[in-house]
Amino acid sequence: MTPLLSVTDLRIDITHGAARAVLAGVSFDVAPGDTVGIVGASGGGKTSLALALIGLLPPGLRASGRVAFEGRDVLSLDDRARRDLRGRRLSMVFQEPFTALNPRQRVGAQVAEMATAHGQRDARRALRDAVTMLGRVGLAEPDERARRLPHQLSGGERQRVLLAMALLLEPALLIADEPTSALDVTVQGQVLELLREQQREIGMALLLVSHDLGVVAGTCRRTLVMHEGRIVEDAPTRQVFTAPRHPLTTALVGAVSRIGARA
Amino acid sequence: MAARTWRRLLDDRPARAAAAVLACASLAALLAPWISGYDPTLQPDPVTLRLVPPSWQHLMGTDPYSRDVLSRLLHGARVSLGVAAGSMLLAATLGTALGALAAVVGGWVDSFVSGLVDVLIAVPRLLIVVALVATFGALSPWWLVVLLGGTGWLTTARIVRAELRDNLQREYVLAARALGATKWRITWQHLLPAVAPQVAVAAALALAAVVPLEAALSFVGLGVQPPLPSWGNILLDGADYLTSAWWLVVFPVTAITCTVGAALVLADRLRAAIAGEEQAS
Amino acid sequence: MTRLILTRLLQAAAVCAVVATSVFVLLQYAPGDPFAASLDGTDVPPSVRAEWRARYGFDLPPVERFTRWAGALTQGQLGYAPSQHRAVSAVLADAIPRTLLLVGVALALGFALGVLIGLLQARHRGRWPDRAIGALTLGGVAMPEFLLGLLAMTWLGARWRLFPVAGLVSEGDVAAWPMWERALDHLWHLALPAGVLAISVAARVARHQRAALLGVLSEDFIRTARSKGLGEWAVLWRHALPNAIGPVLALLGLALPSLVGGAVLIEKIFGWPGMGLTLFDALLARDYPLILAATLLATLMAVVARTLTDIVAELVAPRRVRTS
Repeated sequence: MTPLLSVTDLRIDITHGAARAVLAGVSFDVAPGDTVGIVGASGGGKTSLALALIGLLPPGLRASGRVAFEGRDVLSLDDRARRDLRGRRLSMVFQEPFTALNPRQRVGAQVAEMATAHGQRDARRALRDAVTMLGRVGLAEPDERARRLPHQLSGGERQRVLLAMALLLEPALLIADEPTSALDVTVQGQVLELLREQQREIGMALLLVSHDLGVVAGTCRRTLVMHEGRIVEDAPTRQVFTAPRHPLTTALVGAVSRIGARA
Repeated sequence: MAARTWRRLLDDRPARAAAAVLACASLAALLAPWISGYDPTLQPDPVTLRLVPPSWQHLMGTDPYSRDVLSRLLHGARVSLGVAAGSMLLAATLGTALGALAAVVGGWVDSFVSGLVDVLIAVPRLLIVVALVATFGALSPWWLVVLLGGTGWLTTARIVRAELRDNLQREYVLAARALGATKWRITWQHLLPAVAPQVAVAAALALAAVVPLEAALSFVGLGVQPPLPSWGNILLDGADYLTSAWWLVVFPVTAITCTVGAALVLADRLRAAIAGEEQAS
Repeated sequence: MTRLILTRLLQAAAVCAVVATSVFVLLQYAPGDPFAASLDGTDVPPSVRAEWRARYGFDLPPVERFTRWAGALTQGQLGYAPSQHRAVSAVLADAIPRTLLLVGVALALGFALGVLIGLLQARHRGRWPDRAIGALTLGGVAMPEFLLGLLAMTWLGARWRLFPVAGLVSEGDVAAWPMWERALDHLWHLALPAGVLAISVAARVARHQRAALLGVLSEDFIRTARSKGLGEWAVLWRHALPNAIGPVLALLGLALPSLVGGAVLIEKIFGWPGMGLTLFDALLARDYPLILAATLLATLMAVVARTLTDIVAELVAPRRVRTS
């Protein structure tokens, strides 16, 4: 089966100079419907990798290599083609749910914008679909919540809004960058279950970036361990945790085991 | 941190360019008596030499009174920039002093000063100045300095007060005070030098505001009085001939615009340097 | 919100009180007789002058004169303007709407233009259009309004005769013209002075707007907007601008006093008979009642304008949303 996403030797460099590359040549595949976790210490390049895949690297960083998504090299696409992909086939959920939302726009409209940006001409229909989606991601009273501004929602609710936004057009691949770190444990579980549900329903692949090994262990079939811009381990999750090959992985896993069993 | 801010500024190219422009203008003003070829107030030949276009003998032409425009511009720079610099220094000093007073003493002094600033800042400065000048008659450049400086200290006072108030509550200050240092001593030795870059921004903006103000006053006859030249009254002298004698307009306007522009760029880059330093620390 | 309005109203009252008292006090020390300018050179005998002085209270001690004037003020009586041979209120009633028109049009035009220019710069940030426009806006801010007015008047008005150089309306029997022709003529006369002021406002607004937009563009929610596949203009217009326009409005409010000052000079240069020109002429004629009333009203207008801008800024960009 051809992989949904095939990354070959992806490098990320700082355009003006520092010696070390942010990402020093990364290669991996993601099969359709698969759940892959990316773990590693902070600064290891996880977020930059995620941003490079969707083409939203901040100015000052430059990506090179090959990122084949549904057969096409994302890095060499023109701007319009890339914008067409974003949200429709390839979505991303960001880390900080509060700052990731426009403080002046109602959340329902922000979710609906995903549809209108991709050709949905009927604004009311888009909003209705958005409200439905908000309900499906577990937001109570979705039409009332949809009329609120981000600062009027709780952290968990905001994260769900971001999820609703990312899932609205049923993308083939969802990149989730630390989707649960800003949430408390009970909400975490709900969000992860939500993602699993979506995967089951539409066959979505999930690339889950997290520094929380417990989350990855419970969700991902395969895990990539990153360290200083490289992938040091790429194996089925169980193997990563029970029989790690790289000393860094061992250290990482070992640290978690010492803390004790996680729910 | 202030020292690093200055260094940051020195590395900045637009800032260097702007500083160079201001330095040139100041130099030209200072050396005016020696480098200008003609006496700016003498009218050598009102009949044949009036309104001569720029030529090799008169690089910027002559005005309706046959005076060499370049010489007048240079001597005018002395007056205009002198008044501007003087009032800028006065405004900066007054503003810093009053802002510090409000911040350090606090209480009703603070309320009074802040209230005064809030009220005065809402009044158009031009109106105050025009009213005072029209009432007391034409002022010598020295009095102009006092007048313009005395009306331009408001934003500096606000900035200094805000910064000092913030800093006076920081831990290192509380620690120093616990060791016996008085608020005034701390302010004088540490806080004021730290706030110097922001005062410099306010000063640069004050300069950018006062040069046009003086020019405007001189242009309507309420500022520097003839025959003493100023950039504003060079324009006034040529007011009736502006359509035919373009050199009477273009040169003073360029001088004013470049000076103000340089001051604005300097203020801008200084602000960026301050922000950059804050981010880095 | 109501708190803001109340604070501002109180400040306005305080400002007016301070200005009124200051101007009054000032004029006590001013040399010159208020009636000298209008009566000098005529054959008016000293007795008549003395009578005029008595009638307008110029022979009373200052404090009494002040209370009298302040009292009359609260009753809406502003006195008589010797230099214009009309009641002060009549003079101001003519002048105020003209200044409001000038400043209002200039502000509205300038603001709209400035926002658009700032947007354009943000769209092409870092590239040559941004730099070129930036140089122009710097020039627009650096050149004082009165100089811009002078240049415009000289070249567009006198030299190329595209616009009239002075006054409110053209010469001739204007009152006999049809309404729309009069309005057009009026606009034609307004064009240059308002245009010059508008350029000055636009340059300032553009610089602030560009900076505000660039600041907002580095925020996380812009990245989210882009991840939805939105194009650059959609991102700027729908996400960046609403979040960047608030600070610009607030800054505009702060710049209003100096704008009013600029308008005064523009009125003088273009002979636009508004508050500014009235004040200037009154100062030169030592027409004290008019000076007092005009200064007070000009200040009041500046304060009111500032309050309005603050209120609009608060409505468009409420602070609590920005800082939470």
